[in-house]
Amino acid sequence: MGALPEEVRERLGEGGLLDAAALATVYRRAGRRPLRGVEVLGVAGGEDRPLPGAAAVRRLAAMLGGFQTTALGEWLRAAETRGWGVPPEYLPELADHARHRAEYRPLVIAAAGRRASWLADLNPEWRFLHAVVAEGNNTELWTHGDGVQRRSWLRDRRRAEPADALEALREVWPTESAATRADFLTLLVDGLSLDDEDFLEAALDDRSREVRRAAARLLTQLPGSRLQQRMTERLHTHLLVTQGVLAIDLPRTLTPAMERDGIEARVEGLGQRAGLLRQLIAATPLAEMDLEWLRLPAEGVAVGVLQSGWTEAVIREGSQSAPSREQATAWARELLRSSANTGTRSPAELLRLLPPDEWAAAVAALRKTVDITELVGGLPVPWPETLATDLLDQLAKAGTGRDWARLASVTARAVPPEVLDHPITRESTGEEDTWRRRLVETLTFRREMYEELS
Amino acid sequence: MEQVLGLAPDAASAKAGQGLGKAGKWAGVGASGRAVWGLCQGSGKAPYQTAVDVSGPAYKCSCPSRKFPCKHALGLLLLWAGGEVAAGEEPEWVASWVGKRAERPERKPGEVADPIAAQERAARRADRVSAGMAELASWLDDQMRQGLGGFDQRAYTELSRLAARMVDAQAPGVANAVRRAAAVVGRGHGWPGELLEELSLIHLIVAAHARLDELPPALADTVQARIGRTVETARVLAEGEQVADDWLILGRVIEPDDRLTTRRVWLRGATTGRVALLLSFAAAGRPLDPLPARPGEYVPGTLSFYPGALPLRAVLTQSAPRLPAPTPIGSTARQALASYVESLAADPWNERWPLVLQDVRPAPHANGWALVDPTGEALELLPATNPWKLLSLSAGAPLTVAGEWNRAGLRPLTCWLNNRPVIL
Repeated sequence: MGALPEEVRERLGEGGLLDAAALATVYRRAGRRPLRGVEVLGVAGGEDRPLPGAAAVRRLAAMLGGFQTTALGEWLRAAETRGWGVPPEYLPELADHARHRAEYRPLVIAAAGRRASWLADLNPEWRFLHAVVAEGNNTELWTHGDGVQRRSWLRDRRRAEPADALEALREVWPTESAATRADFLTLLVDGLSLDDEDFLEAALDDRSREVRRAAARLLTQLPGSRLQQRMTERLHTHLLVTQGVLAIDLPRTLTPAMERDGIEARVEGLGQRAGLLRQLIAATPLAEMDLEWLRLPAEGVAVGVLQSGWTEAVIREGSQSAPSREQATAWARELLRSSANTGTRSPAELLRLLPPDEWAAAVAALRKTVDITELVGGLPVPWPETLATDLLDQLAKAGTGRDWARLASVTARAVPPEVLDHPITRESTGEEDTWRRRLVETLTFRREMYEELS
Repeated sequence: MEQVLGLAPDAASAKAGQGLGKAGKWAGVGASGRAVWGLCQGSGKAPYQTAVDVSGPAYKCSCPSRKFPCKHALGLLLLWAGGEVAAGEEPEWVASWVGKRAERPERKPGEVADPIAAQERAARRADRVSAGMAELASWLDDQMRQGLGGFDQRAYTELSRLAARMVDAQAPGVANAVRRAAAVVGRGHGWPGELLEELSLIHLIVAAHARLDELPPALADTVQARIGRTVETARVLAEGEQVADDWLILGRVIEPDDRLTTRRVWLRGATTGRVALLLSFAAAGRPLDPLPARPGEYVPGTLSFYPGALPLRAVLTQSAPRLPAPTPIGSTARQALASYVESLAADPWNERWPLVLQDVRPAPHANGWALVDPTGEALELLPATNPWKLLSLSAGAPLTVAGEWNRAGLRPLTCWLNNRPVIL
């Protein structure tokens, strides 16, 4: 009461409570003072990249606003190659996109420049913007970091010094949870070598089934491993070439030794014994099999079982370095050739093992037996010019039937920058809302995007 | 083209309009000096008749779309903007529509159709308002006698009833104030104090209304505006104070509601330094009229201010196309608050005030954020503000920020980075 200004007290005295309250209210509002002692943040150090032109920025804003958003990654990559940055007001939205799309993260980090780690410090949801900083060998992150930091430390370490990473993992191995052990084990795929074999062999006897399976997967991929030798021996007891025929004697049971090497009791869609054979084939190195077998008639099992086993082996070795990769390419070519007649379950994965300049011809050959969208849908983008041009030529000739819609939408995203000018974009699109109009819209959008960023 | 797309009520319409902006979609298109028209084949049997009166613009289309303008009108305008519509003779259906629009009598500013009837209406309204104010006064007295203890039990029904009574009494401004008071009840520990503040300011309106004749005319206008008397735009244009300047758009706030979307555009004169507010409304889902310029640009023109002790709300008459503007000069936190206090001295009910803060840095404060000026003093941002754009722009360095201040904090609207305005 004593603290009230005199005028307010006077009115209270006169019984005008609301008069006094009104006066006090306006007094209080007018007497508002600025805050003091608010600590400012440090300035983000470093240089800004130059910004692209206004049209490019408007396109970025449109994509963030929901228009042709799928081209966002492409915009970022094109900007990155040309050294452009992103106006800072778009970084929060980009960071939110990258939270859910890990493949955007390095691009967003590059685009954010000096602001990346500055923002990551302020917003826990954008901690991934730090990723670039964690590159150094800060063992603190391994010993005291959270799950994400430890994982990325181990991954980076493995890439830099595979033996050190194995040693670090070996030290903590007994005390980690089963889920962490299984997860960390998968990181050894980088720089995998025979130095890891003893550790992985021991892991085949781990308490956790997940860990055992992860170890078996790695050993299957490790050229010259004992597990590969065991698989080879097993396969050869069940498979014999005699008088131009591939004679198969299906395995009878799953032995404990097979189970230890990661063979499962059942494969979906196959009988038990055919399933065992398929797994044996899939786990045997291509070098221990003969490309000739592909061309032989098989006895004792359906040819599809063999082919799916080979396909899996080819896909596995296709991700390895030479000479396994070259071998896988030869096998992939052969498997695709035979599946041009029979069809195969993973043509797309085989196709990507071929050199890109063979894709167009392979697709043309497979077109009759395999769903073309399925075939090209899994290929890395952008496609080689030959394939893109072929498919656009085809689409240009196609009517407006709905069957083409899926291929058109895959193609729209996969055409390389050099082919975005294809004649189909200059022809009249006819009807209002067809796949053809959307295809042309996307191609044109992407072409303009590259023009603006060049 | 962009201007045409700016007329679209939403993104979907803009897209659909673009699809129709092609000569192949249309038949019988033509343009006269005042209108564009054409026939567009839709899903129905008969083609849609679409016409646009370009002076408005105003739209007419026989399609059933509830969007306004519809995609056909947009497509037609795009076609026209692309120079693909040849001049022609208006067909009957176009000529009669545009003709009717042109005939509609346009009253001169400030002119009243029937002065006697208007006077009678005004008198009836004054009586109703007086009765409403009397009812409000006695209600307030009752509350003070009973005390606000336990008020939260009956607050909602009491205040809603009271707000409805005030609408009946043609005092919508007071009705809003009562609803605001109702929203305070039960919110946080300090609500009885807050409620007393709100009620005391309502009391202040009632008390001022009682002595309306004794008040200086400008203040009387302010009180009338707070009660909820509306002044016709035409009268403002004819009788309001006129100030010509290059008006910098400081920023805009759009507040969607269930039924009504409100937009506040804050302006500051380049030479006069006067601040002003453009208010626009639109029914929910309908587009607001287009902004005269983007935030950070100048609109050359004359503002006509609504009457009142704190001339703030105004009507803009644009005299030349928008212009780019440099980064505005701003003030410190202390100077900014002082300018708000000045506005309170003129209009104690004033809730919002535009501020331009120069060289401020965003920084964490309590559970939210604040802007710190070069002297180390700061203003808090509105609690619900998303600070990330501002933070990303600043990266720790000082910026000029324009915003809308109210008691809860500053709502940042526009900031300037290297002389480039960015909408927040």
